Amino acid sequence: MNGWTGNLLRINLSTESVKKESFTEEFARTWIGGRGFALKILWDELKPGIDALGPENKLVVALGPIAGIPAPNTGKTVVAAKSPLTGGYGDGNLGTRVTVELRKAGYDGLIIEGQARSPVYLNIINDRVEILPAGEIWGKGTYETMSWLYKKYGKAAGILTIGQGGENKVLYAVIRSMEGRSGGRPGIGAVMGSKNLKAIVVKGTNDIPMADPLGMKKLGAEDLRKVGEIDKKTGWSVQGTTGVLSWCNEVAALPVRNMRKTSHQDAWRIDGERLNNARVATYGCPNCTMRCGITIHDHEGRESELDYENIGMLGSNLEIFDLPQVASLNYLCDDYGLDTISAGAVLGFYADAIDRGSIKGNFQFGDAERAKELLRMTAYREGAGDILAEGTMRMAQKIGQDSMDYAMQVKGLECSAYNCKFIPGMALAFATSPIGAHHKESWVIMFEITQTSRESYGPEKAQKVIELQRIRGGIFEFIVACRFPWIELGWDLQHYADYFNKITGMNWTLADLFKVSDRIYALMKFFWLREFPNWDRTRDYPPKAWFDPSNADKEGPIAGKILEWDKYEKLLDSFYDIRGWDKRGIPTKKTALGLGLAKEAAEVEKYAKLE
Amino acid sequence: MEVMKIKIKIIGPFIYEAGFSEKELELEKPITAGQLLSLVNIQEQRPKIVTRNGKAISPKEELEDGDRIAICPIYSGG
Repeated sequence: MNGWTGNLLRINLSTESVKKESFTEEFARTWIGGRGFALKILWDELKPGIDALGPENKLVVALGPIAGIPAPNTGKTVVAAKSPLTGGYGDGNLGTRVTVELRKAGYDGLIIEGQARSPVYLNIINDRVEILPAGEIWGKGTYETMSWLYKKYGKAAGILTIGQGGENKVLYAVIRSMEGRSGGRPGIGAVMGSKNLKAIVVKGTNDIPMADPLGMKKLGAEDLRKVGEIDKKTGWSVQGTTGVLSWCNEVAALPVRNMRKTSHQDAWRIDGERLNNARVATYGCPNCTMRCGITIHDHEGRESELDYENIGMLGSNLEIFDLPQVASLNYLCDDYGLDTISAGAVLGFYADAIDRGSIKGNFQFGDAERAKELLRMTAYREGAGDILAEGTMRMAQKIGQDSMDYAMQVKGLECSAYNCKFIPGMALAFATSPIGAHHKESWVIMFEITQTSRESYGPEKAQKVIELQRIRGGIFEFIVACRFPWIELGWDLQHYADYFNKITGMNWTLADLFKVSDRIYALMKFFWLREFPNWDRTRDYPPKAWFDPSNADKEGPIAGKILEWDKYEKLLDSFYDIRGWDKRGIPTKKTALGLGLAKEAAEVEKYAKLE
Repeated sequence: MEVMKIKIKIIGPFIYEAGFSEKELELEKPITAGQLLSLVNIQEQRPKIVTRNGKAISPKEELEDGDRIAICPIYSGG
């Protein structure tokens, strides 16, 4: 089976059994890899209603046919599980040498089951799999853990690890790799921690199976060079993603003060220009041609790697405009293995709730030193940190009053760093993201502001959200590659279909790949429905704060403007109509059958009726 | 000859083409957003978004006294 190793490695930590399992060509062609594989495995193997932090949950590490091959930006791996933060399907991707090493070891994915009796880590070298005691690294941060593992296995080894956040089951703990990379925002690191699994080390020595290895090598090398040249010519990597901060500040879309405000006069202090000036190093993922990890010294003199989401959520959202201090907060999140986006949202929500008198506590916007202490307390679940570790949705449930209205989350996952107070399409993108409010599925904001009227709730916005979901949340998540060459440098999407065909020997068009995207989005919705049979469209609503007239900007380009409920409902209807989903936001039976999901539709109908 | 003052903000990699990121300029009227781009050395053909006081405008639009103009490459999101 060209393009796939054809194998998954199943490791049960309760029984310490290890099994190499082959999958069928039909499975490969239907789900392709990455998010597709992870979703289908979790759908087939998890019983609904299980405790996401119990031994019944499974951690899936999944690669795709393009993952790890020599071509532009193919160093990504998907990590997935039932999310302890949202209760639904959860995943994320991260750049890691595991991508290359696991494929060379002969696997397209790992399925990790059960729960080890005491802390362990895995060492995988081709067919040899060791479950080893992790006593020496349990309780350590991710930097020290990686350093310990590098000494033992060499820097070329692929490593995934968690920090204290994952060990202590902070619900937004992530999985980390290569010092600066993180993935699995909906608490996939907590799932790893719940299994007493500290790290996964992988080395492989085989070739990645390809239909045309020589042709792919030649094409991949040429394209790596071309993408690198485009990057140099445009200068994108000079500021990477961090240039977005100044733009968001100009167009009133910056998260400031728990997203109560949309811009700030001091935003320039933490912007891409300042970051580039302070740069001491730059890091990237394997096979990367446009390295975006701008690294600076933090307040304590440590190296901290930052991107836009970090400076947006840990900087402006907390009204902390001291760049080294923002870098310190980022370093701590990375070391403890906490998602920086959710951590920034949680601290912002906490400061807001204290400010409004809804809860007693010691934290206010702008207090970097206290924010550092709170991150430590969160990672260890000490004192107030125990509630902060639960994420904004559960915090609001505990605080009560009207606090849910300004908990900036959808389905339990905190919004990334785009303040959609008056950006209907981007609000829809957050609200319909299949894992909760994540920007990775559909970043529609630039299209919306440049090519449409910002005020519009027209179907063209729903159409664009879906188009981007099919590419970003679809193709790039299941062939598994970084989307940056396409989105930031205009590297044609057709290249990825070409790589796919060259590797698999198939002759697929982009339309074929889009159909897989739609299949995956439909099954992700079934996953949620099976977990929450009383599902209704309110779960696809953005945070109420964006509709609150008292929260409208007092000045600036969107003064007095907010989202409007009746218009949003129509926009959501357009989204459902285009997708072939019912008014609840669930794929209809006809849509499911058209996507080849007859078996899955029958399964979900045991729990809730389809239209 | 009427003179006006505008504030200009350059964002991302364009900063290194223009040689500055933010300044106040005194300009003779009339001048369009597109003409301003040439004035600050940003190539016309580079994909970009220009905003006036936070709202997107076309290169053909004439600038007014007191405008805040931001010039940004087209980002597509992290």
